[in-house]
Amino acid sequence: MIETKIRAMKWRYFRQHAFFGIVRLSALIIAAALGGLLFYIIVNGIGAISWDFITKPPTDSMTKGGIMPAIVGTIYLTVGAIAIGLPLGVVSAIYLTEYARQGRIIRIIKIGINCLAGVPSVVFGLFGLGFFVVFLKFGSSILAGSLTLGFLIMPTIIGAAEEALKAVPQTFREASLALGVSKWQTTLRIVLPAALPGILTGSILGIGRAAGETAPIMFTAAAYFTTKLPGSLFDEVMALPYHIYVLATAGTNIEQTRPLQYGTVLVLVALVLGIDLIAIVIRSYMRKQKRW
Amino acid sequence: MEGKPIINLHNVNFYYGQTKALTDITMDFNKNRVTALIGPSGCGKSTLLRLLNRMNDLIDGTRVEGEILFAGKNIYSEDIDPVEIRKKIGMVFQKPNPFPKTIYNNIAYGPLLTWAHKKNDLDTLVEYSLRQAVLWNEVKDILHKSAMTLSGGQQQRLCIARALAMKPDVLLMDEPTSALDPISTAKIEELIEELKKHYTIIIVTHNMQQAARISDETAFFYIGKLIEYNKTEKIFTKPDVKHTEDYITGRFG
Repeated sequence: MIETKIRAMKWRYFRQHAFFGIVRLSALIIAAALGGLLFYIIVNGIGAISWDFITKPPTDSMTKGGIMPAIVGTIYLTVGAIAIGLPLGVVSAIYLTEYARQGRIIRIIKIGINCLAGVPSVVFGLFGLGFFVVFLKFGSSILAGSLTLGFLIMPTIIGAAEEALKAVPQTFREASLALGVSKWQTTLRIVLPAALPGILTGSILGIGRAAGETAPIMFTAAAYFTTKLPGSLFDEVMALPYHIYVLATAGTNIEQTRPLQYGTVLVLVALVLGIDLIAIVIRSYMRKQKRW
Repeated sequence: MEGKPIINLHNVNFYYGQTKALTDITMDFNKNRVTALIGPSGCGKSTLLRLLNRMNDLIDGTRVEGEILFAGKNIYSEDIDPVEIRKKIGMVFQKPNPFPKTIYNNIAYGPLLTWAHKKNDLDTLVEYSLRQAVLWNEVKDILHKSAMTLSGGQQQRLCIARALAMKPDVLLMDEPTSALDPISTAKIEELIEELKKHYTIIIVTHNMQQAARISDETAFFYIGKLIEYNKTEKIFTKPDVKHTEDYITGRFG
């Protein structure tokens, strides 16, 4: 009697540890993959990094020199994409969660947004080319590229913003409305600030995507080579992902520029990480301010 | 009951979708009195309370029939903005729900967005409201700290102060002490006693002793119907309806 109980206990104990083992292993594999990737990039890329590399334009048919125009271009495009994607995304999410009467039409819109999130980025690129570059005559430019990237990251931002808005306690809304404050003011002054940290989390994902995508900017914004910095929103720019693509596939001397390619990858990763870090710092500061 | 009615209900029915939550309610609430709404859970007393400042509008698929007059005007008529009603009829909720803002900004929030503009006036108003809610002495040195640092009882008094800052005529309270300890509850009850000089108070409570202690008039509800409505003394000593007596003596509920 007691022995069977002990056996059952041992079995449960074993199962629990086996399960924990699997969970730990999965986490470890993911961390190792990320670590390995970063290690590989750093080892291969660090040699190319120098002050000149990040402050000078490419020279000698892009086999030497730096990548400054591409860094600047990527920053412009990312900031542009956020400037377009974030407000539109947040306003859409506000409409969907706070104002729209939940029903069939809203369900269809939400399905549409989810589908949009799954559309391959090259399709966004083609859409950008057809609509912004050609039809609206923006040409291949920062504006067209930012708009395309902005639409690309919008579904992500809408999704994150919706979740963040839903997580705001209903009692906050009730408290504000019961004071005779209008719904719009309640949303603006109470709901949105409370949801902001969550919204920022979504934007961080968006930033990473916007900075790293190649296909959407290929036809809409990226220049193969330029030494000068953009003068207006209607100028073409170099961009890091596209520069990597060009060096690795269509450059004048692919093998010779390998170190440059790794160096560029390292800069791109560092840039995305840097922008993320800023967003994370802002978010944790906001979280500290609002605790409930 | 003698008194000056400020809110009148005439044959009010209320539905959540297909479910009828209130049936043919006709009653008057008197000015500067404390009226307690009692009854078992699900009897419709909270629903009735939330009808009075149109908070039920926030729930999809609800429907009101009949008339609810506030100062002689039907608050459900087409040309009435619910936002205006809520300025005049404030509300305190079951769980303290201060905004994640400073104590000062919790109070200033409503007035700032609706009618107050000058900084000086606001300072006065914040102090006045906090004094009225008997919270001033406890928080006067920490006005710019987060309201979330206060205790539950203090938070609830802050919520009362926040409602008072809008200078309402009527204060609706939905079980305001059910989440509080006995000492905080006693403080809120004293406060209600004080506030009825200036405001009309309608309070939902599950606590019979509380209703008996603080209210002037008591209404007993059961399954969406108003069973008995009378002076509190009478309700708690010799109610007209047997059903009421059974409830307040704890024989069912």
